[in-house]
Amino acid sequence: MNRRIWLMSPAVFLLLSFCVVPLLIMVYYSFMSDGAGGRFTLQHYANFFQKDFYLRLTWKTIRLSLAVTAISLLIAFPMAYVMARIIQKGRNLLLLAILIPFWTSQLVRAYSWQNLLRDGGLLELALRKLHLIGEGSLGLLFTPYAVVIALVHIFFPYMVITIYMSLEKVDLSLIEASKSLRAGPFTTFRRIVLPLCKPGILAGCILVFVPCLGVFVEPRILGGTDGTVIGMVIEDLFFEIYGWNFGAAISFLLLSMILVVLAAFSRLSREEA
Amino acid sequence: MIRKCVGWAYAGFILLFLYAPVIVLMAMSFNASRYNALPFEWSTRWYEELAHNEKLIDASLNSVYIALATAVICVVLATMLMLWFVQTNSGLKRWIDSVVILPLTIPWLILGLSMLLMLSALGLDRNVPVLLIGHVIVSLPYTVLVIKARLESLDLSIHEASASLGANEWTTTFRITLPILFPAMLAGGFLAFIISFDNFIISYFLIPSGSSTLPIEIYASIKFGFTPEINAVSTLLLTATTVVIVVIALIMRTSLKYFFK
Repeated sequence: MNRRIWLMSPAVFLLLSFCVVPLLIMVYYSFMSDGAGGRFTLQHYANFFQKDFYLRLTWKTIRLSLAVTAISLLIAFPMAYVMARIIQKGRNLLLLAILIPFWTSQLVRAYSWQNLLRDGGLLELALRKLHLIGEGSLGLLFTPYAVVIALVHIFFPYMVITIYMSLEKVDLSLIEASKSLRAGPFTTFRRIVLPLCKPGILAGCILVFVPCLGVFVEPRILGGTDGTVIGMVIEDLFFEIYGWNFGAAISFLLLSMILVVLAAFSRLSREEA
Repeated sequence: MIRKCVGWAYAGFILLFLYAPVIVLMAMSFNASRYNALPFEWSTRWYEELAHNEKLIDASLNSVYIALATAVICVVLATMLMLWFVQTNSGLKRWIDSVVILPLTIPWLILGLSMLLMLSALGLDRNVPVLLIGHVIVSLPYTVLVIKARLESLDLSIHEASASLGANEWTTTFRITLPILFPAMLAGGFLAFIISFDNFIISYFLIPSGSSTLPIEIYASIKFGFTPEINAVSTLLLTATTVVIVVIALIMRTSLKYFFK
């Protein structure tokens, strides 16, 4: 054993007692009946699985998160590729430019999308000037589409950064070798570049998908009645007197789902190695 | 050449998407209309009102204090943890690695309310120390990752060299390891600051009633009628922080990389 163990104990103590223990307490609460002197019960879980409403909402949240992850990947990969492989001068400037919006509040950016997306807002005016749309209104704000746009906007920079880091490390001589073996650009990309930056892509997907499952602010600001997600239900339950235990149960189910996803991802990335 | 043009065009398109909401909010902070109505009419009215809005200024100051404390605590804890990592081959390492990463894999909504549940289980009210610990928990993984990236790029033989020249462990730590880690410590502290400063969800669940932080004020304002003073304060903060980032980036060009590791 190491005598310098005191160096790591404060951080580990803090993480165990304020991250792991609260999660265990949450699990405990989810099995307790409401009110004082709670007893063991499976009622909250039964509630969740019996009502179509919660299952539909969960499925909707998963679909929303998948959509955000897929769109982020689609727009972030070319950006990372451009930064890592095409542009040499100004690369650091681009990295800086991608980082700076992190410094404005997510809430304010979400609100700012209201200005852009609303009927008669800036996007509508711009598209009309370009003759891309007719006289009709855009009808984007207060729909799930608005939520997807705002979430992609918030999360895709994480994806750009993780993919950029793995692309930057790809050995150029491998690409040369592939070319000299007469592979076309597409084959080189599919057989060499893509597998080598798979860890970056997977890490990026996790950094987007997991937080998306728990969002509740952006849907509230932009989603309207059709944009409800499971995070909003959890938030609401915690502002009700007898909602905590049920809220804990839904949170635990959400957490289990995330653990399954993470396990799948870590298996995918281990297969590669 | 064509590749380059297409590349820059694409980068420009992405930056437009990234910056559109930011530019809109900056422009709206100079728009006279309370409801962000068009056409645009120049005014500095919201900045004047901001200067008199003590609630918003107090909330912003609270956010700065909490973020500063979070950054300092995170840097100290992460550096200690990483010094231990250099000096040991313990089998605990892998296990501790996953504990440190844990808060990254859990949505903040769940982290925040599980801490709230713990307070309630202990019969405690929401309080500032727990709020601060909550901020440290969500920021610490990022600080650790930044410092660890620096450590992994480090040639460990430099420690042996130092030892073989007769330096004891403390001398090695203070003369060799810490100076090498310093840029990463600064970058990690910066990251912790911004994560805490912008954190709404953890504060939302753990803030004592009667207190508030800037993100909480912003959320309340969005929910119950937006005031353009929020645009004004965001513009000021963005300008200030951009200047700080650029200055730091210029001072230590190399360390910019560690924001991404």
